[in-house]
Amino acid sequence: MANTMPRSFLQAAATSEEVAPPLRVVQIEGLAVLKIIKHCNEFLPSLVTGQLLGLDVGSVLEVTNCFPFPIREEDEEIEADGANYQLEMMRCLREVNVDNNTVGWYQSTLMGSFQTVELIETFMNYQENIRRCVCIVYDPSRSAQGVLALKALKLTDSFMDLYRNNNFTGEKLREKNLSWVDIFEEIPIKVSNSALASAFMTELEPELPVKQCDYDRLKLSTAPYMERNLEFLIDCMEDLSAEQNKFQYYYRNLSRQQAQQQTWLQKRRVENMARKAAGEEPLPEEDPANPIFKPILEPSRVDSYLITNQISNYCNQINGVATQSFNRLYLMKALHED
Amino acid sequence: MASRFWTQGGDSDTEEEEQENSEYEDGSDAEQPAGDNAGATARSRYLRDQASDSDDSDGQHRVIKSARDKRFDEMASTVDQMKNAMKINDWVSLQESFEKINKQLEKVVRVTESVKVPNLYIKALVMLEDFLAQALANKDAKKKMSSSNAKALNSMKQKLKKNNKQYEELIAKYREKPESEDEGAEDEDEDEDEESEAEEDPSKIVMSDEENDDEDDEDEDDRDEEGGGAWQRKTSKKDKLMDKQFMKDPSEITWDIVNKKLKEIVAARGKKGTGRVEQVEQLTFLTRVAKTPAQKLEILFSAISSQFDINPSLLGHMPINVWKKCVGNMLLVLDILEQYPNIVVDDMVEPEENETQKGADYNGTVRVWGNLVAFLERLDSEFFKSLQCIDPYTREYVERLRDEPLFFVIAQNVQDYLERIGDFKAASKVALRRLELVYYKPQEVYDAMRNLAEQTGTEEGLEDGDESEEKQSIEENRGPPVFISIPELVPRKPTFPESSRTLVDALVSHIYSYGDERTKARAMLCDIYHHAIFDEFSIARDLLLMSHLQDGIQLMDISSQILFNRVMAQLGLCAFRAGLIQEAHGCLFELYQGGRVKELLAQGFSQNRYHEKTPEQEKAERRRQMPYHMHINLELLEATHLISAMLLEVPNMAAAAYDPKRKPISKTFRRLLEVNERHTFVGPPENVRDHVMAATRALSKGDCHKAFGVISSLDIWKLLRNRESVLEMVKSKIKEEALRTYLFAYSSCYDTLSLEQLTSMFDLSKAHVHSIVSKMMVMEELQASWDQPTKCIVFHNLEQTRLQSLLFQMADKLIILAENNERAFEARTGGGIEGLPPKRREGMDYATSGASNRWQDNYVSGASQGRQGGGYGGRLGYGGRTGGSAQAGGGFQRDHSGHGSRGAGGYYGGTGRTSYHASALRGAQVEGSAGMVNLSRAGRI
Repeated sequence: MANTMPRSFLQAAATSEEVAPPLRVVQIEGLAVLKIIKHCNEFLPSLVTGQLLGLDVGSVLEVTNCFPFPIREEDEEIEADGANYQLEMMRCLREVNVDNNTVGWYQSTLMGSFQTVELIETFMNYQENIRRCVCIVYDPSRSAQGVLALKALKLTDSFMDLYRNNNFTGEKLREKNLSWVDIFEEIPIKVSNSALASAFMTELEPELPVKQCDYDRLKLSTAPYMERNLEFLIDCMEDLSAEQNKFQYYYRNLSRQQAQQQTWLQKRRVENMARKAAGEEPLPEEDPANPIFKPILEPSRVDSYLITNQISNYCNQINGVATQSFNRLYLMKALHED
Repeated sequence: MASRFWTQGGDSDTEEEEQENSEYEDGSDAEQPAGDNAGATARSRYLRDQASDSDDSDGQHRVIKSARDKRFDEMASTVDQMKNAMKINDWVSLQESFEKINKQLEKVVRVTESVKVPNLYIKALVMLEDFLAQALANKDAKKKMSSSNAKALNSMKQKLKKNNKQYEELIAKYREKPESEDEGAEDEDEDEDEESEAEEDPSKIVMSDEENDDEDDEDEDDRDEEGGGAWQRKTSKKDKLMDKQFMKDPSEITWDIVNKKLKEIVAARGKKGTGRVEQVEQLTFLTRVAKTPAQKLEILFSAISSQFDINPSLLGHMPINVWKKCVGNMLLVLDILEQYPNIVVDDMVEPEENETQKGADYNGTVRVWGNLVAFLERLDSEFFKSLQCIDPYTREYVERLRDEPLFFVIAQNVQDYLERIGDFKAASKVALRRLELVYYKPQEVYDAMRNLAEQTGTEEGLEDGDESEEKQSIEENRGPPVFISIPELVPRKPTFPESSRTLVDALVSHIYSYGDERTKARAMLCDIYHHAIFDEFSIARDLLLMSHLQDGIQLMDISSQILFNRVMAQLGLCAFRAGLIQEAHGCLFELYQGGRVKELLAQGFSQNRYHEKTPEQEKAERRRQMPYHMHINLELLEATHLISAMLLEVPNMAAAAYDPKRKPISKTFRRLLEVNERHTFVGPPENVRDHVMAATRALSKGDCHKAFGVISSLDIWKLLRNRESVLEMVKSKIKEEALRTYLFAYSSCYDTLSLEQLTSMFDLSKAHVHSIVSKMMVMEELQASWDQPTKCIVFHNLEQTRLQSLLFQMADKLIILAENNERAFEARTGGGIEGLPPKRREGMDYATSGASNRWQDNYVSGASQGRQGGGYGGRLGYGGRTGGSAQAGGGFQRDHSGHGSRGAGGYYGGTGRTSYHASALRGAQVEGSAGMVNLSRAGRI
């Protein structure tokens, strides 16, 4: 696995293929990848975002270029400046004849902690304007281990529908058969380079079969990474417990309310019987004015879904890292024995 | 002539009185020697002067005159009414008039301030009596009477009979010479005055046998005038008459008369207006005229019980002189019982009416109602109460303490007697009383008491001799001779065995074989206490554990619980002296848990901020207090507790610095430490607590020398008998614990540590350090190993990595998550999933009960350690106290009871916890002792 999953840029660039109409592949230019990586690494402790530019060709979304957003601050004016900057940038790029279609955005992340409500909000914003858009997430910390940690994400259509109606009750989710896995859809990324660039790269490729990233991959110390991951995982667990409590509270209230409703109904029925005997009109069996019939709002499940997603993400990462570490350790053991 | 008979051999004073007696008895007897007459007149003049003196001083002379006249007029008119009623034979109105005249008589007597009865009244009485006799004789007329009239006649007859008995003398006199009626009322009054004053004397002298005769008169007069009421006058008059009745003709005194009088007095007991003191005096007098030993015994019993009656309130104590007299009476009772073994004292059956009539020579058993044990117990509790009430800082207290052997004598004698007659059960009760006087005395105090008993024995012998001589002279002169003279058969001096241990052993073994449950339990506690005082910790502990007293102590009465608490405190002190720190702490920490030590030991009150006591509670508590000489020094106790807590807690704290889950050994100590650490500036230590806190600070840094310096500067150590050895023990303990603390706290800073370094730092021998460190290694308290060749400790740092700790956290979170899921599932399915939560709880229980075995382990290990002797005491000198050894200052006795109920000591485990909570409802005292029960119960598991 350690050998198959991470791919060098060249390998990725070498194999490009055609995909069918529904978005299947994100084909990203080597230039754009490098720009993203550079941007994200430079600002490492803080998280940054940028715009992806490119073309939507059938089932392939080509990302040909990108530009970074300035570091966002919590100010209204600067927010406006940011928008202006974006427009200006687009205009400038058009002038130099670069693809100036927005196809999504990229962002850096820490340990893959990107599954947030904000991400979904942004997605919804973009989706309004651009039919097909992706978010490319780059994880610099993971890349340090010799992997190209790029991920292209998009929201699933069914989730988007639900989110638009803001309708995340348990019933609806069951109806749509939507589980937490179905929020995001990961789209495979293909890195492509122009033939010229590829040729140049081949020219540049050194004789040594071992490269920097290979060295990185062989690093034995994984503890800090694991620790960080665990910490995040613990945080997530806490959040999940809080969510659980919310639901418990809700259910308790609900059952109490139902009991109240039952008693009320019983009373009303007895009353109605009496009225019938007296020859009067029976009272309606439902009284919307009564507070006990006011439905209790079911807490949204988005949060718990997201947290679950996040947890699974962490677990995958830990799994992956642990597997690789074991591989390396066994390798080391074998080497020592020799 | 009777008076002659009495006058022989008397001194002039008494002679005079006797003469006077004869004077009015024989009335116009002309044979009186002139000198005597002169003496009598002189005396009466003196008396008259005295009377007018008192009148003058009152300043009411004139008023009295007019009031007197008025009263006499009233009385005269009533007499007229009576005469009228007699004429028409109207007994109803006669009865009314009679009652009226009686009331008026009271008034007259009060106004004239004399004891004598006006002649007018006597005249009326005589008249009535005659008329009554006449009416009764005339049976026909009686039949003719209307029913109401007959009824009135009958009641009149009874009333008159009763009433006239008081004035028999006067009536007789009046009948003899009715002409005296013709004399002026004033003169008559004064005559009577003289007579009555003179009359009073014999009874007074009888009353007070110790006091000097000359003073006596005046004293009595004063008292009478102070008491002042007509009632008192009247009763004393009554006595007098009674006395006179007996004196007049001693040979005529029969069993019946005495019995009747006794019944009369006993019937008056507890009634309003009955003087308690007078009753005692009357009874004391009666004892002398008793005809048979059984009767004497009976009278003595009533005398003793009326002596107990003198103090009416539950809080106050019996006057000490009364107590002593009571003791004397008890001894007398025992003498009688000794001499006449056929007399049986019994309180179960009602004796026959005339049982006591059987004389001294009667051979069968004579039953007398009475309960010696009850009297003895009452005596003891009165003694106890008096010690409670008397200020311990006064001379009086010491004086009172000297009376202890006195009680001891009776108790001993009663016990001997009871054993002789085979009543072992009662004897065991008495033995318990004796035991409770001895158990708290260390050998020094015991020896002091023995010496005192021997000394006073001889002294008292002398005094007794004097007194008895005096008494005899008095008896010969005044009263009738004691008909039943009892030689002093029972010993008047207590005998004490050489060591208090022998005494306690004897008493205790007697109680164990015959006593009832409570007696046995108390005896056991006393025994344990005594062992603890004598530094026999292992014996005391074994006794405590074998007796299973802790199991049931919360069901016993409060005074036993207090005794139990005292025992625990003493046991703790004993363990500490023996160097058994863990045990000492185990015994003491429960006492200090609620911050109510004083209350638990009944050595004072602690104010409770949150809960006001009702006055009843307060009174009850006051009654439970221990007298000062039985106190356990609270400062010493606190120092012991805190030092042992310090020695245990400081290493524990150092070991658990980064582990919040480790349980504190002593919560009380922790709390004190927290309070102390909150201070910005720490001044020099003042009280025990400050000292220990200062020592704790030094110790937690591993500075054993400073810690010991602070501890040894406490001045309570001088209370210990073997102060040097105890301090030596404390010092070595401090060093050990300092070493352990140092290793706990700073082992992470070392890779290796040489043995020599440690020995020089803590001034301990190499072997000692080696053993301590090795023990720590074995107990896995210290992650290290020895490097023998270099004599170094090599530390292995085995701290968990961050990842590991994170994983633990993660596991916790997962548990919570799983639990929540289960609960959610439960809510859905509507049923609980049994199995998991209880299982988890069980697991926790194992953890705690595992900890609870420690106490036992330590016992075992502690027993093997050599016990160092130690003692405290010698502070209660019998022959004068060595000044108030400072009582535990209230300053640091601040109340922590707000936190008090935080639950039973978690350290010793949860086994006893349920019982604690159950008994928490049982009120303050119970709570504490129930809590204390826990530790030893946990120990026996």
